[in-house]
Amino acid sequence: MPTNQQILEALAQIKDPDLGRDVVSLGMIKELDVSPQGRVSFTFELTTPACPVRDRFKSQAEDMVGALAGVTGVDVRMTANVRPSFMRPKPSEILPGVKQTIAIASGKGGVGKSTVAVNLAAALRKSGAAVGLLDADIYGPSVPVMTGSRVVPQQANGHLLPVEAHGLKLMSFGHLNPGDQPTIYRGPMVGKAIEAMMVQVDWGQLDYLVIDLPPGTGDASLTLAQAVPLTGVAIVCTPQDVATDIAVKALQMFRRLNVTPLGLIENMSWYVCPSCGHRHEIFSHGGAESAAKRLGVPFLGAIPLEEGIREDADTGIPVVISRPESAGARAFVEIASQVAARTSIQSFRQLPVINVR
Amino acid sequence: MDIAWEDGAHTTYTGEQLRWACPCAECRGEAGAPGRLSRVTSLSPEELRIRDVVLVGQYALQIAFESGHNTGIYTFGHLRRLVA
Repeated sequence: MPTNQQILEALAQIKDPDLGRDVVSLGMIKELDVSPQGRVSFTFELTTPACPVRDRFKSQAEDMVGALAGVTGVDVRMTANVRPSFMRPKPSEILPGVKQTIAIASGKGGVGKSTVAVNLAAALRKSGAAVGLLDADIYGPSVPVMTGSRVVPQQANGHLLPVEAHGLKLMSFGHLNPGDQPTIYRGPMVGKAIEAMMVQVDWGQLDYLVIDLPPGTGDASLTLAQAVPLTGVAIVCTPQDVATDIAVKALQMFRRLNVTPLGLIENMSWYVCPSCGHRHEIFSHGGAESAAKRLGVPFLGAIPLEEGIREDADTGIPVVISRPESAGARAFVEIASQVAARTSIQSFRQLPVINVR
Repeated sequence: MDIAWEDGAHTTYTGEQLRWACPCAECRGEAGAPGRLSRVTSLSPEELRIRDVVLVGQYALQIAFESGHNTGIYTFGHLRRLVA
């Protein structure tokens, strides 16, 4: 019969590829129990339900422990507990119940940033996480249409309640100012509006808050990077040079603000013609991947240009929910787990500790 | 003020040192106009005493002094260079 120590030593051979440490020292193995008959059971607690190596971890754990002498069976319970970004002495005053904040930015407009943000949020939700989506695009809010949630938010106890759709908690300026009237704001007002959507909205307990930023490297992005310690930022671009060049600028801006780049996402990467089946690369291909390599940041994946993605965005159902088997939906799910894995790494970072005497 | 950094380094600052290093436009000057810190030779004690420090995102500190001056956003890089 193996001792707990021997079992943990066996499991310590499993390394988390993103965190670079073994799963035992990361505290992922819990509630270890060995029955008198030699049945070993334990909980394997991942840092995200969207873990890209979940199945591999489970079979590795079963194999490692099963190979020990005297073990008659192995029960692995796979769970996940998203850890807050950054180890800090006290919880953040802004967004206190939110564990991870993920910004989606682009630099250039029209590259599908909101589509990516909505589908990443939906994919993280599908994996089992509690997810919110804040649409910080004051001038061109797209989230209400893309999620079929064109309703006015309710209020309670002086706070706005997020709108719920597809299991997501949503807040957009499009909810607060519906209809066809534009929001005409100067820069400082944009900053105030974004702060209000974080402070005055009762987001509750969330594993991930995905923030859909407007294009550009100005007020909105700067306000956000100043108001909350962002876990990281994922940059969306299309493959052609004119888009990747601007995406690089956005990424460098966040680097200067000490926000970790989670990586680059290439949208509209290719198009498969429904009549001839031929693959067209309308906006070129691979631009984001080579830019990521040049900048030394992860390349998170490529999403095809599909009519279905656009149709579903217009009818208000994210493609990862409406057509989970499509190439587009599969790409979003894969990218979501890459983002989640990169995000987990940030949980083990420490913000500077300041002490005034 | 003491700071324990992510890389394990520790740095210490006096209020006086930080006040004179204030990076804000009023103190440094802008658009060719000289700032306040190049025009004065001494600052009163309440201008040098730190009242409050707030983390700005994850790249800087906003330091408020007893005089009410709080417009300086000290980036981590700036703070590290001050003691280098």
